[in-house]
Amino acid sequence: MSQPMILCRGLTKTYQKGSTTVTPLEALDLEVPEGQFLALMGPSGSGKTTLLNLLSGIDSPTSGTLEIAGSEIGSLSRGQLTRWRARNIGYIFQLYHLVPILTAFENVELPLLLDSMSKSERREKVESALELVGLSDRMHHRPTELSGGQEQRVAIARALVADPKLLVADEPTGDLDRESATRILELLQALAHEHGKTIVMVTHDPRAADAADRTLHLEKGLLITQP
Amino acid sequence: MLPFSYATRNLFRDKARLLQTVGGSAMVVLLVMGALAINQGMKQVLAASGSPHNVILLGAGSEESVQRSEVAEQAAGIAGSEIPGVTEVMGTRAVSTEIHYMGLARFPGGSEAQALFRGVTPTALLTHPEVQLTEGRYPRTGEVMVGRLAWRQMKLSPTALRPGATLLLEDQELTVSGIFAAPGTVMESEVWLPIGDLRVMAQRDSVSCVVLRLDDPDDFAEADLFAKRRLDLELSALRESDYYARLNSFFAPLRAMTWLTAGLIAIGALFGGLNTLYAAFASRIREMATLQAIGFGRGALLTSLIQESTLACLTGAFVASVVALLALDGLVVPFSIGTFAMKISPSVALTGILTGCFLGLLGALPPAIRCLKPALPVALRSS
Repeated sequence: MSQPMILCRGLTKTYQKGSTTVTPLEALDLEVPEGQFLALMGPSGSGKTTLLNLLSGIDSPTSGTLEIAGSEIGSLSRGQLTRWRARNIGYIFQLYHLVPILTAFENVELPLLLDSMSKSERREKVESALELVGLSDRMHHRPTELSGGQEQRVAIARALVADPKLLVADEPTGDLDRESATRILELLQALAHEHGKTIVMVTHDPRAADAADRTLHLEKGLLITQP
Repeated sequence: MLPFSYATRNLFRDKARLLQTVGGSAMVVLLVMGALAINQGMKQVLAASGSPHNVILLGAGSEESVQRSEVAEQAAGIAGSEIPGVTEVMGTRAVSTEIHYMGLARFPGGSEAQALFRGVTPTALLTHPEVQLTEGRYPRTGEVMVGRLAWRQMKLSPTALRPGATLLLEDQELTVSGIFAAPGTVMESEVWLPIGDLRVMAQRDSVSCVVLRLDDPDDFAEADLFAKRRLDLELSALRESDYYARLNSFFAPLRAMTWLTAGLIAIGALFGGLNTLYAAFASRIREMATLQAIGFGRGALLTSLIQESTLACLTGAFVASVVALLALDGLVVPFSIGTFAMKISPSVALTGILTGCFLGLLGALPPAIRCLKPALPVALRSS
């Protein structure tokens, strides 16, 4: 059996809020194979985003083990996690988080600036990523000149341009109309099934979850569905 | 690292904030350049005013102020004949008897102004060879010759002290006979007249000092020995350069005040700039968090924010340098004993540029650290 892309054992996150200890995620066990499109659902405060942040190295677990593509990342320092994210993670945000002063091309180019790569190599990769999301004709537009759906597609291009092993998406369709949301979900499906990307998506929308290969439900920090 | 263009483009993200930062920086840099130019100008004019070849014989106990000094009239003759090494030009020894008198001059039309009047004999031109008549002639009785910057010192119009103009000193009418230059010295702000006239007007029966010019500055020891030996004359010998060096020290608190004023305003502007940058960077906490999520380290982001702030402050420094060159360079500033011209020298300009860099760095650090400090999950959710 091949190594899973994500392997969590007893993954727990706690933090202090005043004198109270809050546990948004408790003793979670999870395996996600490479190339799977996984949806995480659950009510607000169930720990979805916390799990997503842990999987993407945005946050560190309090206890338990967390392996991504065979690397244990739970004990990495903030600086080590930053370097690890640059090589391994593509993050897609609900509100796109594009840099407003940069064009679509320049936003997508950002992750490549972290590698020693020639300008022509970068151009080639950025153009390919924008072509993949269907925005070749908008590469010199700034975010304010794009629709919400187009902005999210630029964000997806930015997430995948450096060819990361894992794409994480926090409510990627949460701010979009139905038509744009459908196009984004089709794009994520294609990335998983045609390009072999492992995708973990947090969503409140059952229609979005239907687009995924597998859906997990979280409630009060516990995984309640583990097929 | 983030490209430098990211910093330059961010400058124009909010033009009002950019203007505030550039304006604040320009004001601070201009103040620093102005304070430095004033300090350097005052020091230079006082240093240039005293020649190491000249010895001033003052009344013992009055070494701090030539105006308060009283020296017996006959001291000049005795000193001239007893002190060896006095310069001699065409048979005349360079020994100048002088009265220094701060008086209130009145002008036709009713305006008044304080000025330093120096009662001299023609040998003063031997002891002060830097004094050169540029217009008119040496004054006779009832006449004065004025330094070319005296009108500025007295806050008059440039034509108020032209040859032929008149002024009143102690109710005596005096006519301007000539204008002299003494580049870079306080004498350019003085009014010179025959010592006999000033003795009467100032009601003095003694002179203020005797100035001797020595061929060799090392002969000062002879003049000093003379002053100490001739106790009957009650003299004290000072190198003219030392006298002005003392005056320089006397004005040190005034110069400190210029720095203090510049410093206080600079601190105010710095806090204003900090406030602007806090607001500018606080609105980008999520953007910085996004860049961290992509994989940019906090060091790279801090560098970019500092680049941005330093660029704005250096722009301010450049604006200040241009304003300083146009408005301050050559500006004549009066002070109690003379005037000096402000000079925006390379060292002044360099200090201004370094101040701009310092402001950019110091001003950016606290807001940038605050912007990058929040935990990433929290920063990504910030609005």
